[in-house]
Amino acid sequence: MNPKIHFVYTADGGNAGIKDVQNGTSQFAGQARTPLPSDAGTTYIKLYLDGLCLDVNPKNKLSNISIQSAHDIYRGLLTNWSQIPGSNLTTTIDPVGRDTNGGTYNFFLQSVLNNEPPASNVNALTADGLVVNAVKQDPNAIGYAGLAWQKGIKPVKVNGVKCEPKNISVEPLKYPLSRYIFVVLPTDNPSPAVQKFVDWARTSPEAGAVINKAGGVAAFNKK
Amino acid sequence: MEEGLQPEYGPKWSDQRVERMLGALVLAVVALLVGLIVVVLANGWPSFAHNGLSWFGSGGNVDEELNAISQSAETGSGYVYTFHAWPLIWSTILICGGAVIVGLVTALFISVFLVEFAPAWMSNVLRPVVRFLASVPSVIYGLLGVLVLVPFIGNHLITEHQKASVAGIISLSGYSLMAAVIILAIMIAPLMVSIFTDALSSVKPGWLEGSLALGVNRWRTIWKIGVRAARPAIVAGTVLALARAIGESVMLAMISGSTAFAPNPADGLIFIYEPSRPLAPTIVKSVDQLSSPPAKATLFAIASFLLFSGALFSLAGWATRRAMSRYGAA
Repeated sequence: MNPKIHFVYTADGGNAGIKDVQNGTSQFAGQARTPLPSDAGTTYIKLYLDGLCLDVNPKNKLSNISIQSAHDIYRGLLTNWSQIPGSNLTTTIDPVGRDTNGGTYNFFLQSVLNNEPPASNVNALTADGLVVNAVKQDPNAIGYAGLAWQKGIKPVKVNGVKCEPKNISVEPLKYPLSRYIFVVLPTDNPSPAVQKFVDWARTSPEAGAVINKAGGVAAFNKK
Repeated sequence: MEEGLQPEYGPKWSDQRVERMLGALVLAVVALLVGLIVVVLANGWPSFAHNGLSWFGSGGNVDEELNAISQSAETGSGYVYTFHAWPLIWSTILICGGAVIVGLVTALFISVFLVEFAPAWMSNVLRPVVRFLASVPSVIYGLLGVLVLVPFIGNHLITEHQKASVAGIISLSGYSLMAAVIILAIMIAPLMVSIFTDALSSVKPGWLEGSLALGVNRWRTIWKIGVRAARPAIVAGTVLALARAIGESVMLAMISGSTAFAPNPADGLIFIYEPSRPLAPTIVKSVDQLSSPPAKATLFAIASFLLFSGALFSLAGWATRRAMSRYGAA
């Protein structure tokens, strides 16, 4: 442990973090989506796992949804809960999501929407917390958020698999919306101190405990 | 040290020296402002140049246009600039116009009450409270909207029939024109009240006393003479409030809804429940795309438009004030 190292964390969306690594402003960044062509000059290292849960209001009886239905809801093809089996509702669906600044948005776009843009009836909010709040307040809403956010909202099974750590932590990843959370370093001359930190965060049991406590799923940390 | 003698503060501050220093400071501020305008305009110019007047027009889906613009930087087949801002401009007009009208009426009556009718203790308590409200950060009003007003509108005012009628096009879930106008009015009204009360209290007492002495009642006196005399200040306060409303971004990004949809009053009452996205929140929601040159030009073009309208309103306010100043006061 080196007490002389200080961290400055800027929470400004995953894509901004990559940019900072590319132009040298930051020595490393966190990222929740897989690399894109625009990320040239950066190296992605798998840090831990996260599941993106699909959530409904606790009053909604829905227990399972297929990726196809979720796709159709966010593409504006299914607009009423009566079209989704199991919800016992006959009201209009209020789909909620993130704006394009969010890593969650990109992950959802790739894994659920096949890179087709969300429909105009999707309310795109500026933060994950606002998405959770919107689902909490509105009995007709559906939204998506990472494992760490599942309080006061109801995660539903996706293609029959529950959104919980044990379906996410081991390969093969059973839960369809499992994702790696990456740490991104510059490809050329990454700082040795940063590499040491990343090794520690990836493999030590202490870091694993912190990851699990914070709502992520430690993947490589020794028990 | 003896009373009345000038204390010594190091080197002597002669008038000329103070004049030069303050003058330099003012020049620096002016230079900064000019630089800001030049940078914003220069960066936004490509977007205006490619679209011409149709930049301000309607046609097409703004969100799809923005998508195409930001992605065109990665495909390598040339930049796309096509952008028709009308739904965003219309949303700005509706939300800011609505909020200023609601705020102006409310603020005027509150000010008249505070100055003329409220007992002294109440006025003494309320006027500092109003000043405090005027300085509350907008994001707090945004939270109030997200936690209280938006769910109320979504769950209690909007009917299932109304939601079903627009299903698949937009969601009526409480993020609406109505929520945005109400919260924005709450945000700008204290600013107006604090300016209006100052103006009303500084109306020449002789004018009001003269009216009262003629047997005119207090309401008619304050309305016909006080408010009339304070009109230049009322215009000034309204312009200031309008400028704050137009520039408001974070709060509106939270509650106005995210769709670049143009609510249509011809749809009937339902239009006040429709979501829309004004200009300033569009910049907030798209900052991520600044790395794409055409998207950067588009966002700076929006910023230029906002700057330009702000300047225009100040000018209009100044002209109106001048025309009214023959009524005296402020």
